[in-house]
Amino acid sequence: MSGSTIKIIIGPQHPALKEPERFILETEGEYVVDVKVRIGYIHRGIEKAMENRTYLQGLYLSERVCGICSDAHTTCYVQGVEELLGIEPPPRSRFIRVIVAELERIHSHLLWLGIAAHEIGFDTLFMYVWRDREVVMDLLELVSGNRVNYAINTIGGVRRDLNNGRIQKMLKGLKILEDRTKEYLKMIGREQTVLKRTVNIGNLSKSDAIKYGAVGPTARASGVKRDVRVDDPYAAYDEISFNVIVEDGCDCLARIMVRGREVLESIHIIREALKKMPDGEIRVRVKPRIPPAEALSRVEAPRGELLYYIKSNGTDKPERCKIRTPTLANIPSLCKMLVGGYIADVPIVLAGIDPCFACMDRVLIIDKEKRKAEVWTLDMLRRYGREWYQKR
Amino acid sequence: MVSEALNFVLQLLIFPGFLFIICLAFFSEWVLRKFVARIQNRMGPTYTGYGGVLQPFADFIKLLGKEDIIPAFAEKSFFTLTPLLCLALPLTAIFVLPIADHQALISFEGDLIFLAFTFTMLTIMVFLGGFLSGSIFSMVGGVRAATQLLGYEIPFLLVLFGPAIPASSLSISKISMWQAQNNAWGLWTQPIGFGVLVICLLAELELLPFDIPEAETEIVAGWNVEFTGRRLALVRLGRDVELVLASAILVDLYLGGPQQVWIIPPIVIFLVKMFACLLLIGYLKTLFARFRIDQVLSGMWKYVIPAAMIQFIILKLIW
Repeated sequence: MSGSTIKIIIGPQHPALKEPERFILETEGEYVVDVKVRIGYIHRGIEKAMENRTYLQGLYLSERVCGICSDAHTTCYVQGVEELLGIEPPPRSRFIRVIVAELERIHSHLLWLGIAAHEIGFDTLFMYVWRDREVVMDLLELVSGNRVNYAINTIGGVRRDLNNGRIQKMLKGLKILEDRTKEYLKMIGREQTVLKRTVNIGNLSKSDAIKYGAVGPTARASGVKRDVRVDDPYAAYDEISFNVIVEDGCDCLARIMVRGREVLESIHIIREALKKMPDGEIRVRVKPRIPPAEALSRVEAPRGELLYYIKSNGTDKPERCKIRTPTLANIPSLCKMLVGGYIADVPIVLAGIDPCFACMDRVLIIDKEKRKAEVWTLDMLRRYGREWYQKR
Repeated sequence: MVSEALNFVLQLLIFPGFLFIICLAFFSEWVLRKFVARIQNRMGPTYTGYGGVLQPFADFIKLLGKEDIIPAFAEKSFFTLTPLLCLALPLTAIFVLPIADHQALISFEGDLIFLAFTFTMLTIMVFLGGFLSGSIFSMVGGVRAATQLLGYEIPFLLVLFGPAIPASSLSISKISMWQAQNNAWGLWTQPIGFGVLVICLLAELELLPFDIPEAETEIVAGWNVEFTGRRLALVRLGRDVELVLASAILVDLYLGGPQQVWIIPPIVIFLVKMFACLLLIGYLKTLFARFRIDQVLSGMWKYVIPAAMIQFIILKLIW
């Protein structure tokens, strides 16, 4: 079969991808020999839209960058804005931020576990995990009032407080989640068909993970101890003791195990946070106008390091807001993982980084001849579109 | 003479012929869907009919009304032929299996060979239909179906002919009759063979963990990705009939077939056994993750084929 490769196109519409993205796989027989990625199918112009909105409106927009890690985005955004303002949110609000962030991590990881099971054809596990995920969704609704876009953060603190009744209910729910997650981890470690499809699949060695700048659980499954919660503590993470989960397997099983064990660790963090949470205010009032400054804010989203850069110019609107989502950081590692594997393993490897393409898409025009890359603004895109259609 | 011919025509068309088999096929699909759904903590079909029992039929009617598209790159003759044969082959094969009586509708010495032929033919049709429908996904699916055939064909044939040895006949009706009369079900006399046959049937029916040719998350719908409308309806009905066929083979070759017990008519006994086999298949389907094609081949050659051979040797030593 040497010399004759078949191009298999995965995406933009494909059942293994929940969002549109295109992967062009060069295959020889059942082997993948090369991968090309094309991103940008769901560019929504959020960064540009933020420049036309006030800081408070931008908060709602940042919440909608990602449907799954919406809390991580708002936390990152408000931290940046608070840094620009030079204010500290009250201690109680910082603990509530930790609690919601960890609940979100549990929800995101369980969701991912279900998807991963579905990708290897294990639908029974998928159904069971998603049934139990409802527990954490209910807890999030209990805390914030919403199941998906929690809107718990606000500039200068959080929007809703926790009372004793809610805390008791939450502890009860956490117990269920802990038992179920332990059960699943035990099952996955023993089930032969799962092991056959995940052990030694999509390998990413530790040196490669560092070289390609992997973040989040993808990096931690390759033995790289990289976690913003510890490296650069935000919210109340510096007051809570917890372990960074690291696995040395470097394969898909390690990625499953890292996320499963992180769910257990998150449950531990929430319990600790509930115990240590001080009384007091949950928010401080802030002025709408923000003095000219620059701020860089990082949080550990469920998928890895999320980064916001915000620049203010003295008005009530930001001059520039740049978002770097974890999926974008993991794409180079993903290409490395896919090459040399089977076509049959592409879905699980793709799912292995927990991709969230809607978050990462932006228009980056790369001029091959001039060897330069530039980010287009919404206006430039519009103009380009008009001209392109006129030419036709 | 005329009444005899009329009787035969009625048997062929209504009971236990086409109408009965097709109704049974729809019903078995519903049973399987509902059973799998309950295992997976879901509801399954609920809307049409009592407990959604008419859902497979409703799906069929809906598909019949959909647009029928032939891809520009498809080989038209095979693209048309595959869905037809997908339904026709299992329907024909079912007539040589005893269902309502200890004698099958059409029975001759050597119909077991005919059954084996139809099964291989089906997979070859799947391969051709997939390969020639002009899409990369269906091509990969078709190739995978053919590759998988290399794995399960040999043990499948070995255990298919296992029950013929003690009954010393190649007619399925005689085999099942012999088992019923001597109270020597294949399940008890050759348990390994039964296990191997179940595994091979799972592979033949493309059910988990062997649904590699139509792996949804990898190659969309595999070999049947390009079929739409009427063609897809036929393919799906063919799958359902194949499900009945597979359970019926298990019943007739290993569970004694339709026997008369006390005053209960044989068809009732047959249906009870058939649905037990169907539920067994459905249960196995929910337990596993999907294998990879190379894992199936090596697993089949390493474990399943030796198991089938050992069963054959044991049989020869006893009888």
